[in-house]
Amino acid sequence: MHWSIQILSCAAAAFFCALLLNQPKKTMPLSSLIAGLGYGIFLLLGQSALGYFFATLFIGIACEVCARLTKKISTLFITSALIPLVPGVGLYRTMRYLVEGEYTMAASCGAETLMGICAIALGVTISSILFANFRRKEKPAA
Amino acid sequence: MADMNVMLDAVCLAARLMLESGSETYRAEETVEHMCKGFGIQKADVLALPTGLILTLSEKEGDAAHTRLIRVRSRNTNLSRMDACNAVSRQVARGQLTPEEALKKLQDIQHTPLPRFLWQVLFGALSAAFFCIMLGGMAEDFIVALLCGLLIHLVMPLLGRWHVPGMLGGLFTGFLTAQLALICNTLYPIHLEPAISGAVLPLLSGLATTNAIRDTIKGDLVSGSARISEAVLTAVFLAAGICIALSMWGGKY
Repeated sequence: MHWSIQILSCAAAAFFCALLLNQPKKTMPLSSLIAGLGYGIFLLLGQSALGYFFATLFIGIACEVCARLTKKISTLFITSALIPLVPGVGLYRTMRYLVEGEYTMAASCGAETLMGICAIALGVTISSILFANFRRKEKPAA
Repeated sequence: MADMNVMLDAVCLAARLMLESGSETYRAEETVEHMCKGFGIQKADVLALPTGLILTLSEKEGDAAHTRLIRVRSRNTNLSRMDACNAVSRQVARGQLTPEEALKKLQDIQHTPLPRFLWQVLFGALSAAFFCIMLGGMAEDFIVALLCGLLIHLVMPLLGRWHVPGMLGGLFTGFLTAQLALICNTLYPIHLEPAISGAVLPLLSGLATTNAIRDTIKGDLVSGSARISEAVLTAVFLAAGICIALSMWGGKY
């Protein structure tokens, strides 16, 4: 599958997710753009734990910036933008190996999935911390 | 100073709407604190959890304290509602709204109709189908993921309406989705991996996980661990449902 098709369908999927989550209309194009770009970074970095980390870091930072620019809460953007990166395939593969009784494969696939999830958590955490500090400085002025 | 009861009503309603539409607990707490400042309440203590909220307000240090406990039973994601509540709380914080006006606005938000059910089903199905392509699916997988998505987003809200607990609903939905995909597979060979994992991806919502992490960073350990267990259990139950379906078909997939 060509990468451009994957990125485009990622953006489309994030857009429909945004509709499903009843996201405010104005924030939808931005969040699906961020989701597509984030997935592009993930593909570029070889779909590894490192890819998960940098893609989430990008998504987190981009969402916080958009939230500051539009004066809305960052949750609006990050919710739908982050869904494409959830390692659903890893989870599915782990389960399939478990059902087939291939426990070694299941363990290695499960560990890989877990690492992806941890990388995502780390990425979100770091971007969130960065902006939490920024906001505290702005507060007394506002 | 306006009536304390009206202020309490307004603040409680705002916090409840925020929590029910899936906001982080620290955001609900901040909303309460900002609104209290806007109303001129000097002392406000609030503890928000994913399942409830306690707040104690007194107009000045030493005044009689007013406490309310709110139980939050239903939690789903409604970002527009969260945004609207946030806008009202910002206006209150700037002193642009009286407690009565704020309460009125929040009640309007509470009574805004939810999006149409059929549209939601359609959007859910389309997002599932595009996720399938994103994960490397072909045209035939797209159609199967679309069907699975339709099934998921039809069944999940119906189960919710019949008061089936969310986790069990996930188990059942995962089972049905995998069955449908496996039946389609016997009719016409498809790639099960992108089809099934694409279809369930919108359910493995990143929101619970992200919120869990954010709550934990802020030092809200109780809400953080509650949310983490919610996210993990949702994934495990969904996975178990798919597992049961796969093992029913033996090696024939």
